[in-house]
Amino acid sequence: MRMLNFAKRNFKELIRDPLSLVFEIILPVFLLFIFQQIKVPDDAYKLENFTPGIIIFGFSFITLFTATLVAKDRGSSLLIRLGTSPMKSSDYILGYILSLIPIIIIQDILFFIVAILLGLTFTINIIYTILISILVSVLFITLGILIGSLVSEKASGGVGSIIVQLVCFTSGMYFSKDLVGKMFSKVCEILPFESCLNIIKGTLNNNMQIIETRNIIIYVLYTFLVLIISVILFKKRMTSDNK
Amino acid sequence: MYSIEIRDLTKKFKDKVAVNNISLKIKEGELFALLGVNGAGKTTTIKMLSGLILPTSGDIIIESMDIKKDTLKIKEILNVSPQETAIAPNLTVKENLEFMAGVYQIKNKDDKINGLIKTFKLDEVLNKKAKTLSGGWQRKVSIAISLINDPKILFLDEPTLGLDVIARKELWKVIKGLKGKITIILTTHYMEEAESLSDRIGIMSNGKLIDVGTSKELIKKVKSKNFEDAFVKIATGGDL
Repeated sequence: MRMLNFAKRNFKELIRDPLSLVFEIILPVFLLFIFQQIKVPDDAYKLENFTPGIIIFGFSFITLFTATLVAKDRGSSLLIRLGTSPMKSSDYILGYILSLIPIIIIQDILFFIVAILLGLTFTINIIYTILISILVSVLFITLGILIGSLVSEKASGGVGSIIVQLVCFTSGMYFSKDLVGKMFSKVCEILPFESCLNIIKGTLNNNMQIIETRNIIIYVLYTFLVLIISVILFKKRMTSDNK
Repeated sequence: MYSIEIRDLTKKFKDKVAVNNISLKIKEGELFALLGVNGAGKTTTIKMLSGLILPTSGDIIIESMDIKKDTLKIKEILNVSPQETAIAPNLTVKENLEFMAGVYQIKNKDDKINGLIKTFKLDEVLNKKAKTLSGGWQRKVSIAISLINDPKILFLDEPTLGLDVIARKELWKVIKGLKGKITIILTTHYMEEAESLSDRIGIMSNGKLIDVGTSKELIKKVKSKNFEDAFVKIATGGDL
């Protein structure tokens, strides 16, 4: 399978970049640990709420490093070589997505190990959360492919950082959106990150009331839209970059 | 039998005509060099022939297949060594070979890879990450990769650009070894390279294929002392 072969190569490229491991795994684990030591008097920082926040935070770095990998590939002659091979567009997109899934699973397992060591009770919901988070991560991966298809390798880091900041401020991982006013609250509802966090939080805490229908619609809509746009853009850029 | 047949091939990028109505037939096993100054249209021609970009008009027939209709089938039988080294930087040399063998779904993968390691003498760099290799080694690996699928047609876009004289001569030896076995289309800025390696030479200028022949034929045609002078005369229309 060409897509698995491409996924294997992408996984090796990603895992051999020490910086990506620091940001995708070590930084979120550090934040999870440090915020539990500070004991912030806010529900958002309780382990059962903050661990899902850390998962989403880790995903934002997946977006950043996926964008960098795609932009780097586009900028190198490797994609010219692959463009002359029998690989199809679906092989590229699925190859990029599949290469990130093992990293997502590693992230989730490590985050939950640390959370359990800090006091989170192990329940079967953790397994369900890992499975649901794999689905949620598709949005973050395809967002990375979209950014990587749009901008250069240098710019991909900057644009990826904007996604990291958006996740921090609009997902509700650090503070409730209602604290900042109606306008900001609306922005949080329109962007997909709050919905992603609510889906993961609801699954972990077996509290389906947190997950509003709006959250599911927004997540599904964004994922499909970003996936379709990234496929079209990547295909278009494969040709235009080769002019 | 002709391996490649090009009929009235044109490529336009908005108002700019990069390749202008070229026609050419290349025989099976022939080594054809495409020469021209920068921006002459050589790389665009190669990109069209390798299925990377579509022509604006005209036909490309490769091994009796139409590139517009049988793109994927054609892509199975050709390979390209692009102008810049095209290798995965964080993968070792062996992993690069294995990766590309996977791209072409090579059945006797190990035999093929071992054969290339032997031909290109890659043993000493086999487990080194591609990004840590010198330019010469990277180019060598890039060309070795382009032979992974035993292509019937191989495009070498300035394969020796930036290489030192020894590395260049080593690559020439490899390319000479391939002559007759596969059809090779080579672009280069080194006249000596084109003269020494190719069966026939095509000279491009401003997107047009202005002359085709053996180096001797071209020298004779413009009454020059050597091939470099002949190229300059043909490419500039005798202005220099």
